[in-house]
Amino acid sequence: MLREQGFNAFVIVGGLAAWRKAGNPTESVPRDDLVKLPTFS
Amino acid sequence: MEALLAAIGRHGYVLVFVIVLAESLGMPVPAALALVAGGAAVAAGLLHLTTLLLLAVAAMLLGDSMLFVLGRYMGWALLGFLCKLSVNPETCILRSAESFYKRGKATLLFAKFIPGINTMAPPLAGSMKMRPDVFLRFDLAGASLYAIVYIAVGFLFRDFLASLAHGFQTAGRAVESVTVLALIGYAAYRVWLYRKHAVYRVVPRVQVEELARKLVSEDRDKIVLMDVRSHGYYDSGAARIKGSIRIEPNNLSEEIKTMPKDKDIYVYCT
Repeated sequence: MLREQGFNAFVIVGGLAAWRKAGNPTESVPRDDLVKLPTFS
Repeated sequence: MEALLAAIGRHGYVLVFVIVLAESLGMPVPAALALVAGGAAVAAGLLHLTTLLLLAVAAMLLGDSMLFVLGRYMGWALLGFLCKLSVNPETCILRSAESFYKRGKATLLFAKFIPGINTMAPPLAGSMKMRPDVFLRFDLAGASLYAIVYIAVGFLFRDFLASLAHGFQTAGRAVESVTVLALIGYAAYRVWLYRKHAVYRVVPRVQVEELARKLVSEDRDKIVLMDVRSHGYYDSGAARIKGSIRIEPNNLSEEIKTMPKDKDIYVYCT
């Protein structure tokens, strides 16, 4: 869809797992970015 | 139907228990049909009603409790796995959670009658920290209702079901032809759809090593990393590629309004 809209988009082969396996830096998802889901308690 | 009835007559209780348990664990098997056949077997005097009912309810409680516990301790990872089979995994998790929360524990009473919800309800209840005793109470009621309804259908309509099965056998050839034609038509439609969108399917891919090199080069300011995963943002221990930003995959039409067209966008969805 991104390419259809004219964006220069690429897919990272292997995603986060491949990125980690290659020893590249990751970060924890910031609290503000976490999606809050409802709980019963 | 007659063949299933004969099988249930021979291995009755075990068969019903296994099929019902399998469906409770999320496998695509017709537990309702097994219960209907079980009810018909009871009407035929092949099985005992109380034993059948107790086994069916026990199987559902066992399967649901396992998914409840898994949901409670695996967070949303289990839901993500179950939702992967759906068309929109993101919507699957969020909408299921919100719908479940709005309707509350009563959802468990009727969840088994709704395809999709029947498998999602127990792990959702676990993930959303429903108290185990409350879950068991409502799940027991829901499982009992489900078993009673379908066993009753089989019990009351045994003769009608037998006629229906016989009718299907008689009309077999016609039904087969219509089914084959429908399958061919559907396959042709899918091929047409695939060819129509083929030009957009060739999305350039980049290896992580190449991307890592670009990120330390002078081109790094022209790069944007986007995380379009469906369920990496629910648990506090979640991680992402450093410097990436989250994009809601099912809200892409809105998100692209603010995306830069003068930069290279690298996305990852796993």
